[in-house]
Amino acid sequence: MKTLTLTLITTLALASPIDLYLEELAAQAKAKDPNFSGFSAKRGEQIFTSYHIGKRGKRIACISCHTKDLTKPGENIFTGKKIEPLSPKANPKRLQDIKNVKKWLRRNFKDVYKREGTPQEKGDVLLYIINQGG
Amino acid sequence: MKKSILLLAAISLFAADTIFQKLFSPKEPTLYQKECGSCHFAYQPQLLPKRSWQKMMANLEDHFGTDATLDPSDHKTIAAYLYANAADVRPKGEMSEMALSMPKDKTLLRITELPKFKKEHRKIPERYIEQKAVKSLSNCAACHRDAKRGLYEEENILIPGYGRWED
Repeated sequence: MKTLTLTLITTLALASPIDLYLEELAAQAKAKDPNFSGFSAKRGEQIFTSYHIGKRGKRIACISCHTKDLTKPGENIFTGKKIEPLSPKANPKRLQDIKNVKKWLRRNFKDVYKREGTPQEKGDVLLYIINQGG
Repeated sequence: MKKSILLLAAISLFAADTIFQKLFSPKEPTLYQKECGSCHFAYQPQLLPKRSWQKMMANLEDHFGTDATLDPSDHKTIAAYLYANAADVRPKGEMSEMALSMPKDKTLLRITELPKFKKEHRKIPERYIEQKAVKSLSNCAACHRDAKRGLYEEENILIPGYGRWED
């Protein structure tokens, strides 16, 4: 019992916000599909780099604004506003504010896919982003 | 005696530095600037009348073609800020003047469609607007170098690839 409590406390203490969010998403994904066996950066790459007819009726992908190289700055294709690199390895501020992460996942899935991402899709994309660069 | 003087000097310097920092540090971006300025220039609330801001805030799912929805608490805070400082609520200065040129029977969402805005920008050659450094008339800060401070006078205009503008 003591060991378990200690492990739990240690995990909570050491887990970064994004790890906790990924655990949350994994639980949601498992609830939706009992066969869920973990997130995949490969699936995430597919989600992030593929083009679709988006909200504005035009072909768009995540990389349209973020570019293929997440260690470099991107640019909002509609307004020209500079977007800081998305890779946490290049930009340590990324994926620290989970409220922010949830907001942008919601908005940008809707921009490209015209719907919210499923828990699995969100986890896949986040794993892909975490692994970029370095 | 010496020790006390040194200690006093140290404390005074520290206090002075803290006060100096508070007075002259760049202000923390407001929630509006942080949220709405993340994709485009954070247009000052005085640039549109209240009814325009209300219409905009009620339709963030389709904000000029993009999803710009906020969490309920942030939505409330930003809406309150915009409505309290809208052109017709706080009519003061050039920005409100421009906003109030909107016909009373219309609720325009684009600042670039305001009659006074169109008038002020009508003589600019297309190529200076379409160039990569500017892209469109919605990109105020590209030419209005003090736009972030709400200053849009002629003296502060520097068009990329052109220079100062004199009408």
